[in-house]
Amino acid sequence: MAATRAGPRAREIFTSLEYGPVPESHACALAWLDTQDRCLGHYVNGKWLKPEHRNSVPCQDPITGENLASCLQAQAEDVAAAVEAARMAFRSWSVHPGVVRAQHLTRLAKVIQKHQRLLWTLESLVTGRAVREVRDGDVQLAQQLLHYHAIQASTQEEALAGWEPMGVIGLILPPTFSFLEMMWRICPALAVGCTVVALVPPASPTPLLLAQLSGELGPFPGILNVISGSASLVPVLASQPGIQKVAFCGALEGGLRLLIQESVWDEAMRRLQERMGRLRSGRGLDGAVDMGARGAAACDLVQRFVREAQSQGAQVLQAGDVPSERPFYPPTLVSNLPPASPSKGSSSVPWPVVVASPFRTAKEALLVANGTPRGGSASVWSERLGQALELGYGLQVGTVWINAHGLRDPSVPTGGCKESGCSWHGGPDGLYEYLRPSGTPARLSCLSKNLNYDTFGLAVPSTLPAGPEIGPSPAPPYGLFIGGRFQAPGARSSKPIRDSSGNLHGYVAEGGAKDIRGAVEAAHQAFPGWAGQSPGARAALLWALAAALERRKSTLASRLERQGVELKAAEAEVELSARRLRAWGARVQAQGHTLQVAGLRGPVLRLREPLGVLAVVCPDEWPLLAFVSLLAPALAYGNTVVTVPSAACPLLALEVCQDMATLFPAGLANVVTGDRDHLTRCLALHQDVQAMWYFGSAQGSQFVEWASAGNLKPVWASRGCPRAWDQEAEGAGPELGLRAARTKALWLPMGD
Amino acid sequence: MSAHNRGTELDLSWISKIQVNHPAVLRRAEQIQARRTVKKEWQAAWLLKAVTFIDLTTLSGDDTSSNIQRLCYKAKYPIREDLLKALNMHDKGITTAAVCVYPARVCDAVKALKAAGCNIPVASVATGFPAGQTHLKTRLEEIRLAVEDGATEIDVVINRSLVLTGQWEGSDFIKTSTGKETVNATFPVAIVMLRAIRDFFWKTGNKIGFKPAGGIRSAKDSLAWLSLVKEELGDEWLKPELFRIGASTLLSDIERQIYHHVTGRYAAYHDLPMS
Repeated sequence: MAATRAGPRAREIFTSLEYGPVPESHACALAWLDTQDRCLGHYVNGKWLKPEHRNSVPCQDPITGENLASCLQAQAEDVAAAVEAARMAFRSWSVHPGVVRAQHLTRLAKVIQKHQRLLWTLESLVTGRAVREVRDGDVQLAQQLLHYHAIQASTQEEALAGWEPMGVIGLILPPTFSFLEMMWRICPALAVGCTVVALVPPASPTPLLLAQLSGELGPFPGILNVISGSASLVPVLASQPGIQKVAFCGALEGGLRLLIQESVWDEAMRRLQERMGRLRSGRGLDGAVDMGARGAAACDLVQRFVREAQSQGAQVLQAGDVPSERPFYPPTLVSNLPPASPSKGSSSVPWPVVVASPFRTAKEALLVANGTPRGGSASVWSERLGQALELGYGLQVGTVWINAHGLRDPSVPTGGCKESGCSWHGGPDGLYEYLRPSGTPARLSCLSKNLNYDTFGLAVPSTLPAGPEIGPSPAPPYGLFIGGRFQAPGARSSKPIRDSSGNLHGYVAEGGAKDIRGAVEAAHQAFPGWAGQSPGARAALLWALAAALERRKSTLASRLERQGVELKAAEAEVELSARRLRAWGARVQAQGHTLQVAGLRGPVLRLREPLGVLAVVCPDEWPLLAFVSLLAPALAYGNTVVTVPSAACPLLALEVCQDMATLFPAGLANVVTGDRDHLTRCLALHQDVQAMWYFGSAQGSQFVEWASAGNLKPVWASRGCPRAWDQEAEGAGPELGLRAARTKALWLPMGD
Repeated sequence: MSAHNRGTELDLSWISKIQVNHPAVLRRAEQIQARRTVKKEWQAAWLLKAVTFIDLTTLSGDDTSSNIQRLCYKAKYPIREDLLKALNMHDKGITTAAVCVYPARVCDAVKALKAAGCNIPVASVATGFPAGQTHLKTRLEEIRLAVEDGATEIDVVINRSLVLTGQWEGSDFIKTSTGKETVNATFPVAIVMLRAIRDFFWKTGNKIGFKPAGGIRSAKDSLAWLSLVKEELGDEWLKPELFRIGASTLLSDIERQIYHHVTGRYAAYHDLPMS
């Protein structure tokens, strides 16, 4: 074994007081591999699946390079078989009462407890991670996750009434991941009644072992299926009929960025170096090392990074007790990296590197920390409580630890924002990832091949004068409502709107790319002020708008009448719209709560923070009610919005804009009329829009989802399904509240 | 003890600026115990090293010259000779670092050690041990008498009422507690003390010693204390001049572990001499 140091006798150790190897036997991991004749297939429907004529990939010890087993690579038909098994399992698993699922998850936790040595030695053996980390951290947390989600399952009927499990979940895991990342995702999915097909990278035995442990528990063998294969199978899995959601997690990076205030820079660096010097690295299966090694590829990556940093004049400090041979790499502290250097710009720092940079004020630190596309987690170290909290609230990340780092608990949602993705694991938020409001139609996994992403909404049909304006209503407001006032469109052209009898109802401005740009800018300017308002202040403004809507009732009702709505119903729509505004104003005041976590003295705050600038494309139907029903939660949670109102009749929204012009701060809500597809295209491709809601055609939804992948903004698209906006569940249900804000977990450990 | 604390200007602002992140200290304390184990020959060597840090202590009301004599003999011959031979360590002169007794027993200890022909220092807890709530005059007199009797090290109980009012005293060694409290040497407290020692060293260049006392009974505990000092202060602190473990029953457990390492068997009580 490469990592073993030659053993000095007691006499020399007595003088040198060195640490020695503390090898953890991995005989049971090898024995388990032997049960499969060192050839791992896939685990589907409670059975090992070893189809013939498949390529195989060796699973190697990342440190010695020794071949441990060969792993069969799945083909499309194996994926289909796994999805079919999960679909069959879903039929019974999802209809059982929550307590039955709870019992099953609890049994799985117990099985893991009984076989934990096998689990931790196997994981450490194949990943090279320090066994202590896996044994004391991951394996324990895996059991806690199962217990926590068993409790959630047992109360599902009451606590999650109105929601149903999505169905079969496709889970895609990256080449470097710990089996714990899989647990964070499968536990909530299984708890709420979904079943899972996990596509793991070639040569990942631990997920297969977990699937086996779960499968051998009896009555529900098909709830967790694991197939291993290359990334080329991802689209195959995603397009399988029956897959209702695809969850994926990106490659995990291990490096860190450290911002240190100038006034304590020298002191902090000195302590950091001192501590680094005492880190020990070695074979993962050694019980007394702090860090293992992650294989040759990871070693190459970090070597390249450090060489480049050095060539740019950065200071590199390496320390610690580390074996000199590959693939071991010492903990590395990089400082003085020039600000504009490419290795700083590329936001990922490889493991085990820490890049330290100084800052002058807390404000500057916040700007630097938020100036990356990543939004996973961060920690703040300060003895000034006020300043620490200021930073904690200001950081655009999913998790903030104050004076601590890396703590996790099943009851605390973990997620992120920006390019770290918008999905959540753990806590209540993690459950909703695998639920949909009861009665929502199932997802059709086939994508339209006819949609041309390059041309969708690119051209705006030209419009000409469209006959005389007829009718009783006064002249409608004209212009794009941007930055608090009506503006002429950049294109200087207009679009006719017809009423239900085909007569011209009025002209609306034809908005375009430049108008969208202006609207997004205005919304960004308004955002800090609005997000900083108390929920009470935001509610007061929504209530004021509700009152204004009621004063404008007759105008609004008569415009609705021209669109073919009966007067009674039109008046009811106006009243309901006003009620929606008041309801969200009230709801948002009861947001966020405190979690209590095992093993931590002190609270974890679950904050609900605004997303930022939210783009909303309203449905054609319910031109007033749908517009208000979407606007109200978006604003209540502190977002600023750019809205494209109903294409059939945007005049209702423009009427409301007249009141917003007098009541709202400029830029809070912006309304852009024009060609729906064109405006959708502009919004979806805008990198500085933080989230998008789209209620329109299936094609438009597909485009929005495709285009939004550019900045990984969360998307809510209707896929062409109509919505009953006048019903409480669909028009004002908890789904809207969930979509309108994101969670942040703020850990506040106490101590005297 | 060779080098003395040369002292420094008393700067109370330094003390008032000290911040302790309690939860982080607790986590670190947990980690060190889990991450730094030693096995096999390493364990045996470390345990023998631990023996050389022990202030072999008896602080009982009924101490007499006979049990002091036995203690001193044990200090001189802490591990059975044949076990040391098996480890090829019999010529290393392994003894405990000191014996530690009440002032009234210093004479007995000095006499017994002389009879055994060794120069193990005698430490004494003077100054109104363990509360320290006696007059300064009697405490100073107590120290003088103990030194007169032959004690070369004095464990002083500082006047804690002075500390709590910000009037500090200097020392060459700091000790977690008297060993007579309900809670004595704990890891979190030790981490804070060791970091204070490190800061003082960085600031003044003076090395202050560290002595955990009370409740350290098992060989495993002693290994954890060694690795704690090694991790926080480094190898240069791992010598009797800068590190002591105040303990009475620890030694016999270490001897049992050495016995097991050498023979592969667990020792019966009568296999090893009592202390």
